Amino acid sequence: MATRPSSDRLISGPSPKRPLGVIVVDPLPVVRAGLSLLIEDRPDMEVLAEAGTAEEALEAVRRIRRNRLVVLVGLGLDGEMDSFGLIRTVRERFPGVAVVGCGAKADPVAISRALFMGADGFVDKTSDPVEFLQSLRRASAGEMVLAGPPAEWLGAIAEGIERRRMAEMALTHREREVLRVAAEGLTARQIAIRLGVRDRTVTTHLTRIYKKLGVGSRVAAIRVAANAGLVSVGVPE
Amino acid sequence: MAIRAMETFEGPARVLIVEDHPVLREVVRIACDASPLLHVVGEAQTGEEAMEASRTLSPDVVLLDLTLRGMDGLEVARRLRREGRPVKILVISGRTDDHTVFESIRAGVEGYLEKTSGVRYITDALVRVAAGERVFTRDQERAAIAELGRLARRAREASGLARSVTPRELEILRHLSRGLTMGQVANRLGVSIRTVETHVAKLYRKLGASNRVQAIAKATDLRLIELG
Repeated sequence: MATRPSSDRLISGPSPKRPLGVIVVDPLPVVRAGLSLLIEDRPDMEVLAEAGTAEEALEAVRRIRRNRLVVLVGLGLDGEMDSFGLIRTVRERFPGVAVVGCGAKADPVAISRALFMGADGFVDKTSDPVEFLQSLRRASAGEMVLAGPPAEWLGAIAEGIERRRMAEMALTHREREVLRVAAEGLTARQIAIRLGVRDRTVTTHLTRIYKKLGVGSRVAAIRVAANAGLVSVGVPE
Repeated sequence: MAIRAMETFEGPARVLIVEDHPVLREVVRIACDASPLLHVVGEAQTGEEAMEASRTLSPDVVLLDLTLRGMDGLEVARRLRREGRPVKILVISGRTDDHTVFESIRAGVEGYLEKTSGVRYITDALVRVAAGERVFTRDQERAAIAELGRLARRAREASGLARSVTPRELEILRHLSRGLTMGQVANRLGVSIRTVETHVAKLYRKLGASNRVQAIAKATDLRLIELG
């Protein structure tokens, strides 16, 4: 790796010996390119890898051994594992790595979901680019960051986290699974086939779920679950 | 009732001072009266008086001290928001900890002043808040966000823990938190003391606790059980 001339270093605090490494994760190639350009432009930061799926991202984190590493996770990831799953997996398997959620005009539920999963912060693409980059630096230094969302949203984000906690604590793993599949719009029969159980089992689960969530219908249950960030409905981001 | 309703007129922002410290209350009132942009329409010393005054006097902005006797300032802020009152809230407090700042912002206030601020700051902030600005320092915003991070971490831990703690273990913990001995718990559940001890040992391990007090503290902090 080429060394940078000292005139390029930012004059703010003790300058680290090595640039902050960033892994840019976003499903859209143009977005990845834009973020990479923005980051590479700074002498104290560099993009170590780009990834378009969660699997690619995890592969990159595994491969790269760096003391100071930030994984920037865009919210729209498709595939077996979505963005929230990626955030959770990085947090659990690589505790020393900072992981920051990144949205485009993300709403409080999405942000609360990212934080609940263990993100070290959230930066929105609506934020000022300088603030965006500064947030990545601070996240890697161990600070919780939130850049882009208005301060008025703090309450809504906190409530979203609390709702998720309550929903997770109320429902069993199996019930959450049933709900997630149900949110795709399948009939009880289709859910049963997907999960490899009997129709009767699915309806029993659903009844118990309604009771625990205090609702009377599947639509209401999915609405509560979506508000709690437990399931995704429609296109994320 | 110790509310003093004063003359009202259009123009300057109508201020309700909620402050139980008589000297501070007086000083702020004099400073506000000296400003052409502010007009004090009332003063209140307790949370109840504050709610009553906001209903009868319709202030534009409330200067709210967080430490009040009885209903505290945060509760006043929450109730004002719940009632849908179109009033701006500027909090003043001796506390600067992350948690208080976070809870204030979460409650929906428009500004947070520390009591070390001079009187000039108070009137300036009242004018700005009345005009629709948010008055928070960068440090306060960071403190609130840091606290949000802690809330997220606790929530994550709690639900992860909730998944591994069995209903039986939770039941035993509740009994223990009410002061029952292992023997009493065993009686209550109709099992042997040995069984209770086994459950408790497993529970302590899951909570990362080495005694009853730690276990209850951890479980309460994560909201797995409620005290009282």
